[in-house]
Amino acid sequence: MCENYVMRSTRSVVAVKYDSGTGYYSDPPLLVLASLASGPKHGHAMIEDIASLCGTRLGPGTLYGAIARLEQQGWIEPLPPEERRRPYRITAKGARVLRAKLTTLRQFTKAGLQRLEALCI
Amino acid sequence: MHMNDRLAHLLVRLYPRPWRARYGAELEALLQTGRGGLRTSANVVWSAFHEHVFPTPGLKIEQSRFQSWCVRAPWAMFGLAPLLLLAAAYFVAGFILWSGWKIFLPGTNTPFVPIDGPANFYFQVGRLIYFSAPILIGWAIGLVAGRQRLKAVWPAVGWILIALIGGTAQVRASRTAVLSGVGHVRMGFALGPSVHGIPDGLFHALVILTFTVLPYLIWRLQKTHFVSS
Repeated sequence: MCENYVMRSTRSVVAVKYDSGTGYYSDPPLLVLASLASGPKHGHAMIEDIASLCGTRLGPGTLYGAIARLEQQGWIEPLPPEERRRPYRITAKGARVLRAKLTTLRQFTKAGLQRLEALCI
Repeated sequence: MHMNDRLAHLLVRLYPRPWRARYGAELEALLQTGRGGLRTSANVVWSAFHEHVFPTPGLKIEQSRFQSWCVRAPWAMFGLAPLLLLAAAYFVAGFILWSGWKIFLPGTNTPFVPIDGPANFYFQVGRLIYFSAPILIGWAIGLVAGRQRLKAVWPAVGWILIALIGGTAQVRASRTAVLSGVGHVRMGFALGPSVHGIPDGLFHALVILTFTVLPYLIWRLQKTHFVSS
C-alpha cells in the first residue's frame, strides 16, 4: 500500500507537483476528477481509487479541500447521501475540464519524454 | 486503525462554521471509518487552518456579529481591540515580573538580575509574553483583515499602533520607588537613544512592523498571483 500522503494547498487547481524522489503525482483536484471519471464515489472510495490509480494517498483534509472547491466550481456535484457518506459525481463541465487538463498533460509528457530521450543520459 | 470518534469530532470543529455546515458530517464520517494516526490528524489540522486563511470561494459566509463589527466599527476591531489586547498582555507580563520578584528575589532592589532554575523559567514566561504579544496581535490583525477581505487602511492603523507601542515600551522596576518598599513595576514609552541617526525605539517599531505585516503581504501577493494566473 502506498504511503505517500499529500498535504498541500488545493486552492489552485492548475498547480501540479511532481515528486522527483518517488515519482508520484500530486494535484488533488485533478486526481479527484480523474477518480470520479469512472463513476460516482464517496470520500473513502476516492482515496483508495486514487491510491491505486497513481500511488498518491490523499489525506482526508486535502481530499475534502479539493471536493469543496470542485463543487463550488461546478465541476463535481453531490448525490443523495448514503447513511453518513455522500457520493459525488463529475459534471459535464468537470469532464470537459478533466479532458482539457489531461490533453495538456499528455502533450507535456510527450514533449518532456522526447527531450529526455534526446538528452541520452 | 480507525480514528477515535471524539477526536474526529474535535478535528472537524477546527474548520470554519460555513464549511463545517456543508462538509463537516461527511468528513467526520470519513475520519471515523478511514485510517487514523498522527499523519491524518496533522493533515486535517493543516487543511482546517488553510480553510481559515483561504476560504473556499462561493461557500455561503454567515454574517456573524464579529464580521458585522469589522464592517461597522473597523476602528474598534483594528484600533481599540488590539490596544486592549496588548495592554492585557503587558499587564500579565508585568504581573509575572512583579510576582516573580516578590517570590524568588525578595531581597534585591530590582528583578533584572541573573538567575537560574525554575525562577528563571518563570521570568522567561513573562518575557515571552511581553516580546511576542505585539507580533502575535499583529498577525491576528492580518488574519482577520485577510479573512474578512477588508481594505488594508484600518489594519495598517492597528499595525502601526501596535508596532509603536511595542517598540517604545520600557519596563522599569524599583523597590525604593515607593515608601512601602514592596517593589514597584511600571511601564513607560520612550524612543530611546539614537543609533545611526534612528532612535532605538523607532528601530524596534520598524522591526515589529515588518514581522507583523510580512505574512499579510505574502498572502496578498500570493492572492494577486493566483488571480492573475
